[in-house]
Amino acid sequence: MFFTKEELVKWLGLTVFEIWINLISFLVFTIIFVFKYDPSKDLESIDWWFIFSPLFAGDALNTYFVIIIFIRMLLEMTIKSSLVRISWSGTVLLMFFLFKYLLCKRLLGQTTLDYSEVFVPLYILLQLIAVRACQQS
Amino acid sequence: MLMHRALFTWLIFLVFLILLCLRLESRTNWNWFLIFLPIWVYDIVLFTDALFNILIRCKQETTRNLFKNKHYLIIASIFLKLAFQIMLCLKLEHKSLNLQIYHILLPIWILLPLLITDISVTLFKNTY
Repeated sequence: MFFTKEELVKWLGLTVFEIWINLISFLVFTIIFVFKYDPSKDLESIDWWFIFSPLFAGDALNTYFVIIIFIRMLLEMTIKSSLVRISWSGTVLLMFFLFKYLLCKRLLGQTTLDYSEVFVPLYILLQLIAVRACQQS
Repeated sequence: MLMHRALFTWLIFLVFLILLCLRLESRTNWNWFLIFLPIWVYDIVLFTDALFNILIRCKQETTRNLFKNKHYLIIASIFLKLAFQIMLCLKLEHKSLNLQIYHILLPIWILLPLLITDISVTLFKNTY
């Protein structure tokens, strides 16, 4: 029932390096969260941008990696395959970034969006992942 | 088949996200353990599958190979994830328990380095 690394890479279209970066950034995020989150304070007075900064840094590193891969694929392979690769990776990165950005804004009270609206990028990503799941043999 | 497993996982996460949104917006006052129900179901399926695979290997392999079996890591991961989820639900549902955040995150701090090490080994072996 569980997925091997090869299956996850194939299904999600992420490389092992990207998964590695995401795991490390999430670990740092949890550590900063414990140090900076104060339950006695209001949600809106906590510096959520600083707490979420490792996740944004992880996204930035992944974007840099994806651009490098795109340039190398352009030089070594066809334009079509490199465009397909960067469009998928770009969509995944954009949706995760949007979710985290909206969540930060929501927690800081800077937007009046409902949580269902904040979660929209994740729903879009889930639909795209479902399409990719149907393409697996 | 990969497709069936992927679609099952997708469905579980979709239902969980919908329930989570409903609870966060206070449209329902369901118990947090109920909100996590899809994740409990998924964990049970994963645990049963890993256990079944270990039992099959017990019959087929020698003791030496048995300790190299990666299913042990999966079972340990499931237990750590379950511990985290149970403590999180307890914290959200019973605020009087005074559970500290670092107590809740302790299983995650054990699990994540394990996963990172496992993936680092794959990266440095340059498999992909």
